[in-house]
Amino acid sequence: MGVYFVLSPLLLLTLGGCLLMIAEAYMRFRAGDDAERSPSNELALPTAVCLFAGALLAFGVWLRGPESVPGFDAAAPYLYADRFTLFFTVVVCLGAALASLLAGGYLPEHNLDRGEFYPLIIFSTIGCVVLVAAGDLLSLFLGLETMSLGVYALTGFRRTSPRSTEAALKYFLLGSFAAALLLYGGALLYGVTGHTDLVGIGRALAAGERQAPTPLVLFAFALVLVGLAFKVSAVPFHQWAPDTYEGAPTPAMTFMAVAVKSAAFAMMLRVLVQGFGPTKLSSWSSGWPPVVATLALLTMTVANLIAGRQESVKRMLAYSSVAHAGYVLVGLVAVPRVGAEAQASVLFYLLTYTASTAGALGALVLMGHRGAEAVSYEDVAGIGRRHPGAALAMSFFLLSLAGIPPSAGFFAKLYIFRAAIGGSFYVLAIIGLLNSVLSAYYYLRVLVYMYMREPAPDAPVATPMRSGMVTAALLLSAVLVLLLGLVPGPGLGLALSAAAGG
Amino acid sequence: MNPSMSFYDLWPALGAGAVGAFVPAAKNWRLRAGLALAAALPVLLLLRGAGGTEPGAEWPSLLNALIFLPLAGALAILFLPRQSPRVLQGVTLGVLGVTFALSLLLLRVPMGRAWHFQYVREWIPSLGIRYHVAVDGISYWLVLLTTFTTPLAAYASFGSIKTRVKDLCFSYLLLQAAMIASFVALDLFLFYLSFELMLVPMYIMIGIWGGAEKIKASIKFFLYTMFGSVLMLGAMLYLVWTYARITGAPSFDLLALSRVVLPQKAQTLCFWAFALAFFIKVPMFPVHTWLPDAHVQAPTGGSVVLAAIMLKVGTYGYLRFAMGLFPWAANENCRNLAGVAVLGGIIYGALCAWKQDDVKRLVAYSSVAHMGYVMLGLFGGTPSGVSGALLQSLNHGVSTGALFLLVGVIYDRRHTRRIDEFGGLAKVMPAYATLWLIVTFASVGVPGTNGFVGEFMVIMGTYVSPRLGVFGGIDAVLAAFGVILGAVYMLSVTQKMFFGPLSNPRNRRLADLNAREAIALAPLVVLIFAIGFFPSTFLEPMNESVAAFTGRYLKGFNDGKDHGNAPASLAPAGDPAFFQGAPPLPGREPPPGGAPAPGGHAGHDHPEGGE
Repeated sequence: MGVYFVLSPLLLLTLGGCLLMIAEAYMRFRAGDDAERSPSNELALPTAVCLFAGALLAFGVWLRGPESVPGFDAAAPYLYADRFTLFFTVVVCLGAALASLLAGGYLPEHNLDRGEFYPLIIFSTIGCVVLVAAGDLLSLFLGLETMSLGVYALTGFRRTSPRSTEAALKYFLLGSFAAALLLYGGALLYGVTGHTDLVGIGRALAAGERQAPTPLVLFAFALVLVGLAFKVSAVPFHQWAPDTYEGAPTPAMTFMAVAVKSAAFAMMLRVLVQGFGPTKLSSWSSGWPPVVATLALLTMTVANLIAGRQESVKRMLAYSSVAHAGYVLVGLVAVPRVGAEAQASVLFYLLTYTASTAGALGALVLMGHRGAEAVSYEDVAGIGRRHPGAALAMSFFLLSLAGIPPSAGFFAKLYIFRAAIGGSFYVLAIIGLLNSVLSAYYYLRVLVYMYMREPAPDAPVATPMRSGMVTAALLLSAVLVLLLGLVPGPGLGLALSAAAGG
Repeated sequence: MNPSMSFYDLWPALGAGAVGAFVPAAKNWRLRAGLALAAALPVLLLLRGAGGTEPGAEWPSLLNALIFLPLAGALAILFLPRQSPRVLQGVTLGVLGVTFALSLLLLRVPMGRAWHFQYVREWIPSLGIRYHVAVDGISYWLVLLTTFTTPLAAYASFGSIKTRVKDLCFSYLLLQAAMIASFVALDLFLFYLSFELMLVPMYIMIGIWGGAEKIKASIKFFLYTMFGSVLMLGAMLYLVWTYARITGAPSFDLLALSRVVLPQKAQTLCFWAFALAFFIKVPMFPVHTWLPDAHVQAPTGGSVVLAAIMLKVGTYGYLRFAMGLFPWAANENCRNLAGVAVLGGIIYGALCAWKQDDVKRLVAYSSVAHMGYVMLGLFGGTPSGVSGALLQSLNHGVSTGALFLLVGVIYDRRHTRRIDEFGGLAKVMPAYATLWLIVTFASVGVPGTNGFVGEFMVIMGTYVSPRLGVFGGIDAVLAAFGVILGAVYMLSVTQKMFFGPLSNPRNRRLADLNAREAIALAPLVVLIFAIGFFPSTFLEPMNESVAAFTGRYLKGFNDGKDHGNAPASLAPAGDPAFFQGAPPLPGREPPPGGAPAPGGHAGHDHPEGGE
């Protein structure tokens, strides 16, 4: 029975998702009805509560210690319920909960108030959780598809907008392409080794490693790597990301940039470390680290350079999210040499990145109003006067993303680069550090517009949007960013034990 | 406390009072008396503190108070209403004033070689990061300069800045906390944190209240400094990692890390990463180009803080961290760097200043030249050179701060700073002209003012420096020539602006200094003479620390030379006064009273970090 206990966050989410779906179906709400009973008012909070409960439950299991529960590995290798899984469950649920809180303010404001959004978020989150727990290519694919299908629908949620539809189509096509590559690679690996579970694959590959890896293994490996790179939107497989993020409604973008990305990195860690860890394929001379290092270099530099040239804040944040994937990849490169500490740096980075990005996007939501998102730099000009709270929140989260101490983002970067230097990847670390200077430029640019520019004289005077739920999400993220920045010790400790146990 | 105070002890205070009473063009005698009192009291306090020979008991949390009081003030400002600027200004000045008063407690403790007011607390044990602050003779005057100058700058700027006062007050207080923290931090991480944190409020100051090109200037300032500092962060991480590899546990503590002797190649690279960060901050040729822009665009108060204090973080950081951690590499490069400081800083900076037509830009370039002396003194590495450099830091803070305040006065009246717009101002603004002349003399280095002592000591130290060898003489001669150039540009601008016919009709009706401007300037003018006539009062607290530092520097580069390119190792701890408060080595030197750590691999068994 222990396995049910350790998988209880997943079960809870499933139950909650089903209940919400039923509740949504029974709601009768038409445009023009009393706004008090709109789907967002009725569903956003329960969704967030359900997701927070998932996160809390995962934390509870963590405190109880999953290894000490009898029968905890009954679902292995399909689903691992180790500390690694629990850590990512918390991160993913947190990101999804923040996204649903943002949706609670965003959807009514922009006439998108349809209840399906909330069950979709929960089902996608279930996919994320399955993905981070999966130790077998089959369950991994299952989780990946569950996650992606929900997100495709969320992306195209604004049905009347061609941009949103384009975003969804692009994401769908490239996403399925990536999934197909991954699947094909997995099938080839199965053909070579006779295993679908990652540990088995790793053992079989390591056992047959007397001579150089066969071309078939290399080909399968390349396919898997490309599929993973697509999912984490590493340059040059990132082209879908900015368009998709920009076209999607902001809460959906939050979910994608935060929860989906974290889950994708969890998958990448599992596959590369668990699946290929014991083989020669994870050595610097003949394996994935140099490839991933190149991806990291490209991702950071290209994304930061392009982000600096954007005219839209939302698109800038999309590119910045790609750039952050680059920093995470730096930590990933160091994993084979440095071990648990490097892995912990990746985990910690994703946690802080979740809080900062969700916060920044939440502030962006607050800056929009009635059917018009705040998108361009001109839109946010002078907002420091009109909406000081949102501007302050935005500055705070952007400074965290830029890595200015004492925010959480600084610590995350410090930890990543420390791991890289520990693994003697000096060039990678220095280029990463210089990239954070590059990124400061465009984050500061937003601050410049918010505080140091006046709005254009013909710009419509907008009443700033107010929403209790968005404010709550911002406060929660702010507390997280501040706590992880001032007292990062406990957070680092959690990440370290998650990495050591995973 | 001495029961009787002779006239000799009292006369600087009386002089300050006289300046306060007679210089500003106040209307009634009540105000003049108040001003006199306001000028005399701080001087009196300063003298009483410095003159007291009996050591006062050290209050261990003094530095915490100096850091966290402005920080708490900044947070409090956030919750005060935006509509009542007077309350905001009052709270800001009150907090800054109390910080200054508290910092005077430093004067009661004679600085020896040891650390004072040391306070250590674990912060992030898993990374070896501690909250470790202390003050010694090197940082002593810089802390006092910070607590002394910022209130004046804030007070002066409240006169001319009327918009968004809340943001201004927040910036000043946050800046103050970060600047003090950077001077007292003995943990590299804490230093880096305050080094970066300083950027944000200054960026806000330039960006919001700056001139026409403010946004470009503010971003340039931010990115330049951040570029240097991230490279420094990389070198820091390398150093910490090396330390962890040798001892088994990481530490960011300066005292612990100063024992690491790196292989020469790594040491050179790390030195350059640190040095570049500080050279940008100082700024030194050729990375000085952000400074004129930042100064010209910044509001007066921002310029004062930037010139008087923030540039000192660069020189202080170079001395404490770059020279302290990488003595061999610093010594290897010091000849070339001294050449750059002389040619690029002192000579080129002075020539640039000479050719400016904007008086604020002129003062900014004169900063480049003056900071060239400071860096030259540090590169020389002799006790008199380093002491002179520290004193010159102080002098530059005082006299350039005063110059920026003076430029701000004329800018507030005419909204232009072009030199050819002025002429014959001495006729309409006599008090202003007098102060300008005094400060100009200080900046030029006329004997009797503070500038003379510092420059003289730096040039002497350079001349005799064994580090610079034959180049020491050449550098000293060129630096002395730079003093003449300084006189050329400062006196020529004085002549153009203040003397000659009052040709521009718009200058006919300019008002002389008002009370606020006079109050802000008077303490600086007093300090100019105080340092000029009693330099030993100011040199004495730093002497032993500087001597100890140069001793460690000498030993460090001999160690580095013998070490060659062998793998990094740990030098034995030397001077116990210096290593007081350093973190214990895991597994080797168990802390007294604690059980020895099992085995030599402490730190790997328990991966979970801090509680």
